[in-house]
Amino acid sequence: MDSNGDDLSTTARNRAHAPGPDAPVAVELAGVAKRYDGAVAVEDVNLEIREGEFFTLVGPSGCGKTTTLRLIAGFETATEGTVRFGGRDVSGLPPEDRDVGVVFQNYALFPHMTVGENVAYGLNFADPPGGVTREERVAELLELVDLPGTADRDPDSLSGGQRQRVAMARAIAPGPDLLLLDEPMSALDAQLRERLRVQIRTIQRELGITTVYVTHDQEEALAISDRVAVMRGGTPDQVAPPRTVYREPDSRFVAEFVGDNNVFSGTAVDAAGSTGNDVLAVDIDGETLRVATGPGADGTGRGDEPNPDSGDRVTFCVRPEHLEIDRSSNAVRATVESAEFLGETTRVHLDWDGTPLVVRTRDPLTGTVAVGFHPDDAHVIDVERL
Amino acid sequence: MSDDPVDDDGTPDNTSGDTRDDDPEASAASGQRRTARVRDRLERRVLAALALGTLGVLLVVFYYPVATVLVESVVVDGVVTLGVFVELLRDPFYFGDLARVFAGENPLTVARDFLGPDRRIGIIGFTAYQAALSTLVSVALGVPLAYLLARFEFRGRRTLRSLTILPFVLPSIMVAVGFVATFGRTGTLNSVLGALGLPPVELMFTLEAILIAHAFYNAPLVARVTTAAWESVDASAIETARSLGAGPLRAFYDVVAPQVYPAVLMGAALTFVFTFGTFPIVLALGGFQLATVEVFIYRLVRDLNYAEAAALAVVELVISLAVLFAYLRYEAKHTVQSGGVRPLPRKPLVPPVNTVREWLPRAGLGVYAVVASFVFIAPIASMILASVTGGDGALTLEHYRFLLDRQETGAAFQVRPWPAIRNSLVFAAASALVALPMGVVIAVVTTREYLGRKLVGTLAMAPFAVSGILVGLGLLRGLVFGVEIGGWRIAIAGSAAIVAAHAVSGYPFVVRTVAPGLESLDRSLIESARALGASRSRVVRDIELPLVWPGVVAGAAFAVAISMGEFTSTIVLATGADAYTMPIAIERFIGRRLGPATAMGVVLLVVTAISFVVIERLGGDYSGL
Repeated sequence: MDSNGDDLSTTARNRAHAPGPDAPVAVELAGVAKRYDGAVAVEDVNLEIREGEFFTLVGPSGCGKTTTLRLIAGFETATEGTVRFGGRDVSGLPPEDRDVGVVFQNYALFPHMTVGENVAYGLNFADPPGGVTREERVAELLELVDLPGTADRDPDSLSGGQRQRVAMARAIAPGPDLLLLDEPMSALDAQLRERLRVQIRTIQRELGITTVYVTHDQEEALAISDRVAVMRGGTPDQVAPPRTVYREPDSRFVAEFVGDNNVFSGTAVDAAGSTGNDVLAVDIDGETLRVATGPGADGTGRGDEPNPDSGDRVTFCVRPEHLEIDRSSNAVRATVESAEFLGETTRVHLDWDGTPLVVRTRDPLTGTVAVGFHPDDAHVIDVERL
Repeated sequence: MSDDPVDDDGTPDNTSGDTRDDDPEASAASGQRRTARVRDRLERRVLAALALGTLGVLLVVFYYPVATVLVESVVVDGVVTLGVFVELLRDPFYFGDLARVFAGENPLTVARDFLGPDRRIGIIGFTAYQAALSTLVSVALGVPLAYLLARFEFRGRRTLRSLTILPFVLPSIMVAVGFVATFGRTGTLNSVLGALGLPPVELMFTLEAILIAHAFYNAPLVARVTTAAWESVDASAIETARSLGAGPLRAFYDVVAPQVYPAVLMGAALTFVFTFGTFPIVLALGGFQLATVEVFIYRLVRDLNYAEAAALAVVELVISLAVLFAYLRYEAKHTVQSGGVRPLPRKPLVPPVNTVREWLPRAGLGVYAVVASFVFIAPIASMILASVTGGDGALTLEHYRFLLDRQETGAAFQVRPWPAIRNSLVFAAASALVALPMGVVIAVVTTREYLGRKLVGTLAMAPFAVSGILVGLGLLRGLVFGVEIGGWRIAIAGSAAIVAAHAVSGYPFVVRTVAPGLESLDRSLIESARALGASRSRVVRDIELPLVWPGVVAGAAFAVAISMGEFTSTIVLATGADAYTMPIAIERFIGRRLGPATAMGVVLLVVTAISFVVIERLGGDYSGL
């Protein structure tokens, strides 16, 4: 188990390329709302996307992630609020004047043009960056997306993955300030998706282009992004780096949407401090479980909820990989319901007096087992004062 | 559009505080934004202006003329009255025994008399009767063709499938000539019967000839809509039914039939409406003995009895619209949405195994092929054959020579071939020029999402359902005879009215060919182009137009062909004028000289085919029809 300090340093190490929090803001959405005939698509959206950042909007369908992207692209006009690029209000600006590159889910390659003509289309309205000719720019980009020599082919003759890369090349060709990707891989099979997301990330780093990525796939979002906005019901629920979103979800929704999770709710039976500095005892239907609350509301990320008093309602979560089998303390007894063999691990579904639990183990389990966790591995999501 | 907070460069009310007077980049951006806004607004205005223009043309050449006919039927000598209608409804000549009910007799007595031997059905009854029979024959000939096209794979299947659109463009009067050449006393049928030692049959001026001619036109239509529905049946739906225990027949009955049946009904409804308003075929094959409503309206117009003609036209329109409306109500309730992802596999024409179950349907199709080739090929072949056959049965070019002689020595009142050809070409080109923009604009307007789109679509497509006689009569009475507006008398020439009428009958085809392309146009293509820097109008030029171009070309080919073959409104408008077209020339010949009529028919066929092929060269796609 990492301590808080370790946690931060690993994050920093893995985000070596990511722009720091003091990088200039490239895109800002301030109090943005979009309504259609009274129905809310997005509401109360406040986001700051930094220059060079790979920023992902993730959430279930209907959460407003695509609408948010379309508001940034200029395909939709906000009902309320302001969209700014580099501090400049772009609200009235049509998409062709926003210097954005867009890749759609279905790629939207122009079927009546060759691959080369597709990639060159944006160069009708902007000079190729770097003082090269159109042809050189097209060749350069097809090289970049690993499709050299395909300029004369018809989009129809390409595979899904190839089309996706042509769409990327086309979006990047005029040298946009901002790259917008709307579920660009959801039509591809899982293996190809994993390969392509590495490629997209590499290209993005190479060009240092600010990128907004929309996906419903939380695993993809965690894998590819510098920061993630988890959206729900038209509003971002949590905006943070992937690790923070995974380890320290701000809400029950984020905890359950991002990865597998075990969420518990119970009553605090010991006020903070009485059982030790950081550990809180929570009573759940007669069982008492101990949960670390962190050193208090001091801004380390964990524990920004207020320290609970006795009798408060506490919601916390424990990841399946942190639930230990045959643990003697801080454990409950649960019955094995079913198991899914996933290769490296097995996902085991347990039943604890009607509450479903999910555990990751190496070996299959049967019967009734003791299952528990180290208090440090629990994360308090919410404290409700009574 | 909501008010933009940034109205001017650096005005104090700019709350964002990002646009400063001393920031050249920001004020340039603001200027750019303003021009972009203006451009966006302009582009939206352009579409609105085009839509209004189209609406204006429609009002002048369709709704106004049709409205004048409606008014004419209820205003007699300046007094509003329903007298003409009442008289019409009580006239057994039109309504048969039903007129007695309208006249106030006990319906039961009338019904008893109607079941007796001296029933009268009147002109309207007869029109409905022949339309119903024509519909039966068309469905009987159309459904097997759909079965063949949807379920079998063979060489030329695609060609055969595209041929089913031909009847739309074949001039009806030419087809009528073909039928006379087939079924006439000295026609092909009797020659064949004679050669086989069988007695001759007399089919001219009989109901049978009319029914077969109607089937020639409408069976391909039935086949077309039915094939489309059949092809959209999802194979996995049938496989699901089979796996749940249904036998092949049961699976057909439960899965295929419910999806195909509404299409057959749609074909039948359209056939009924078309044949209810039939004109050239009955005029040529039935004469006034077997007159339908439309033929009678024409006769009333010729006798200058406009009020009665107008009233009769209105009655006809009401009946046609009622049938269409009933059908649309049915369709709205019964349309089966099919996933249609995986079509049924097609079977080879040669059965893979020799079993009765494999052979039986194929044998049926064989019989069908014989009947169909007689119905569909014989008329055209007979016409061509008759045009080169003399009275003695020997091959001759005398009919074509007659046309040339007539061209050189014909009197002013006689029909000469060259003016007919020239008029046809000029009218076709002019009406296509009107119909194309109208059709494209209506296609754009009806494929966008907005409130009242259905109403706009219905109003724009109404000319499809309104008879040519009614439009022609309206144009004649409303515009050619002139209208008085504020002391000015406005009248248009007969030829201009003909162009207008042709454009009105042609543009629905443009809408039908262009709309599917627009509808299937992926919005993200347009958005991609805009994100890459293209303005809205540039997107129209670079993306939308190239992608719908095949539909536009097909629409143009149709508009031209429809104009060349148009007969119904032309004959109303060409009375007295020398604005006659090829179909009118054929009609003037057909009564007296069949030979020259067939020769003229061949000329029409050739000119139409050449025009069609020339336009086709630009790359047409007819999938919308």
